[in-house]
Amino acid sequence: MPASKTTVLRLALVASALALATPAAAIPAFARKYGTSCITCHTVYPKLTPFGEAFRRNGYLFPGVDSDYVKADQIQMGQEANKKTFPNSVWPSSIPAAVPLSIGANGTAQVIPSKTSSAGQAANGTKVSLQDLVGEGHLWAGTALDDNITVWAEATFGSDGTVDVEHAQLLFNNLLGPEHAVNLIVGHGFPNVTQYGPHSSYLADQLLTTVPVTAIYQGNPDPWTLVDNYTGLEVNGVIGGVFDYAAGLNAGKTNRVSATDNFYGRVGFKVGGMRLDGEGSTGAADALRPWAEDALGVYAFGYQSNARLDTGATPPAPVGNDVANVVGVGARGQLGSAELNAGWYQEAHNHALDDGGKVTAQVAFGELSYVVYPWLVPAVRVERVSLKPTGGTSASDLHVEPGVAFLIRPNVKLVAVFNYESASGFPTTGGGTTPVGWQGGASDWGTLLIAPPASGKTSLSEFESVGFFLGWAM
Amino acid sequence: MTQFIKRSFQFAVVLASLAAGPALAEGGTVSGRVEATPAKYLEETVVYLKGVKAPAKPQTHVMDQRNMAFVPHVLAVAAGDTVKFQNHDGVVHNVYSPDNEGFNLGSFKKDEERSYTFKQEGSYSQLCSMHPEMLAYVFVAPSAYAAAVDKKGHYTIANVPPGTYQVAVWNSRLKGAAKPVTVTVGQTATVNLSVKR
Repeated sequence: MPASKTTVLRLALVASALALATPAAAIPAFARKYGTSCITCHTVYPKLTPFGEAFRRNGYLFPGVDSDYVKADQIQMGQEANKKTFPNSVWPSSIPAAVPLSIGANGTAQVIPSKTSSAGQAANGTKVSLQDLVGEGHLWAGTALDDNITVWAEATFGSDGTVDVEHAQLLFNNLLGPEHAVNLIVGHGFPNVTQYGPHSSYLADQLLTTVPVTAIYQGNPDPWTLVDNYTGLEVNGVIGGVFDYAAGLNAGKTNRVSATDNFYGRVGFKVGGMRLDGEGSTGAADALRPWAEDALGVYAFGYQSNARLDTGATPPAPVGNDVANVVGVGARGQLGSAELNAGWYQEAHNHALDDGGKVTAQVAFGELSYVVYPWLVPAVRVERVSLKPTGGTSASDLHVEPGVAFLIRPNVKLVAVFNYESASGFPTTGGGTTPVGWQGGASDWGTLLIAPPASGKTSLSEFESVGFFLGWAM
Repeated sequence: MTQFIKRSFQFAVVLASLAAGPALAEGGTVSGRVEATPAKYLEETVVYLKGVKAPAKPQTHVMDQRNMAFVPHVLAVAAGDTVKFQNHDGVVHNVYSPDNEGFNLGSFKKDEERSYTFKQEGSYSQLCSMHPEMLAYVFVAPSAYAAAVDKKGHYTIANVPPGTYQVAVWNSRLKGAAKPVTVTVGQTATVNLSVKR
């Protein structure tokens, strides 16, 4: 198969894989629970306001006594007084009278100015692609069993019939010490490697830009990346309202039995604005702009992934283990309604090349946004990924995304994103001889996908597409 | 004839008023409204007077179990009063409380009734061991001058001996400060209270 066709096939595979992996995070079940609007916690969902961030960080509980704010009917599985009779009675809890489910759907349409651009190649030469306009459906569940234990789950249904349980977590909050100091998350979901929610972006699906290193160099169909849904345990908390931390272990992409050997940790602090746990808030300086604050949050994280590689190729490729060590930092600065959310990390793989060599990836991302109105947020997102294989040629890719996020209704959103990509070099496989296309990014309506041109040039810049994301939830 | 009936009726009313006069004149009324934050806990509130010296004869009250719920949800009694716990459900119920001295009335079937005399002041959670969702409160006040609030938070404590007292408030989850009141014969004193975290 010619290299260009291989590239197109890979791009198509990646595009469809990313489309299926798109998580979303609006959860109207919480709106029903508290009898409140999505706007209490979100601007353009899933982007969270400072209060929404505190709610998420507290394990989906309001500051103070959560049950004080619950308006939905609850079925008592026991009474507060039963705590006095424990162990002769079961420790009490409650469940909502109505099943705390929410549904939603989202998808993307692409307008591709040039059929010859990498986006055009990935979309089989079409200029307008509506194929994924309804790309996936979601079923969310979220509720509290008492003032400390919460449940959070999400299943995503792909338009191709696939089902992915993205989240299924039990959150045990306020286990020890001061309020919010020690919480435990058990189950399947995102590791909290950032101080702010994983979907803290107006233009992309997730805050962190990821790069599937072993997919690029080895064709690994299920590569480990920094942001994905993993099964494990995480301890996190907020101390004094300004310091926060998370530490966890999970099974990652290792499919060896009993091998839960991925570890991560994060520490951070915030100055100004609402406390990280939302306690004692006196409200925003401008009551009509509850999302606005003057604040700076800074965090650093580390992660070690131990992934088992199985390329699935025919004939079977050698199976090995790839250890990826990640260190990174991030910061979010807010000045009123303006926000800059940025970060950088280095991801060093010891067995990422198809000949077993090392690859170091460096990823930087930043998003500048301004909430003009609570329903209109222009923003620009910049991502840069560089790959440095041992003994090979370094390559880097710059992705610039200006765009606008609209909230048509509190639970209906539209995002328009312009995708410009510029590659300075391309990754290579086959022992460093075959250039391949870039992969990664932070959303399926704006992936890194620029492919090496047939001309053999090693640099290429393209205005690739305008992505339109449409989503609703109820 | 009509005039005779009308005059007779007026005479009867005057006689009735004279007969009732001394009783009404025995005490005054304290009433008002309680505001709760959050409001959803308002119904679990009792207002009671502190400092009333008048001795009271022990009373008997009723708390029923119907449709898997205690009725009423909140009952205000005085120390020394007895509560008859009834079961008008078709299923077996239990009544117990882990509070204060604690008690357990065992299991009782439909139309059965068991009593308990509350000697200690304070609140008692009333639970059913078989149906953990069931909950009621018996609030044992220092005197009979106590009342549970209605759904809007209103309360009325009638026939209060004249004097100066503290109007206190109890809520299952919230707290509120007491306020002084001076009760005058035949008069109604209005005292509004609030409870919060």
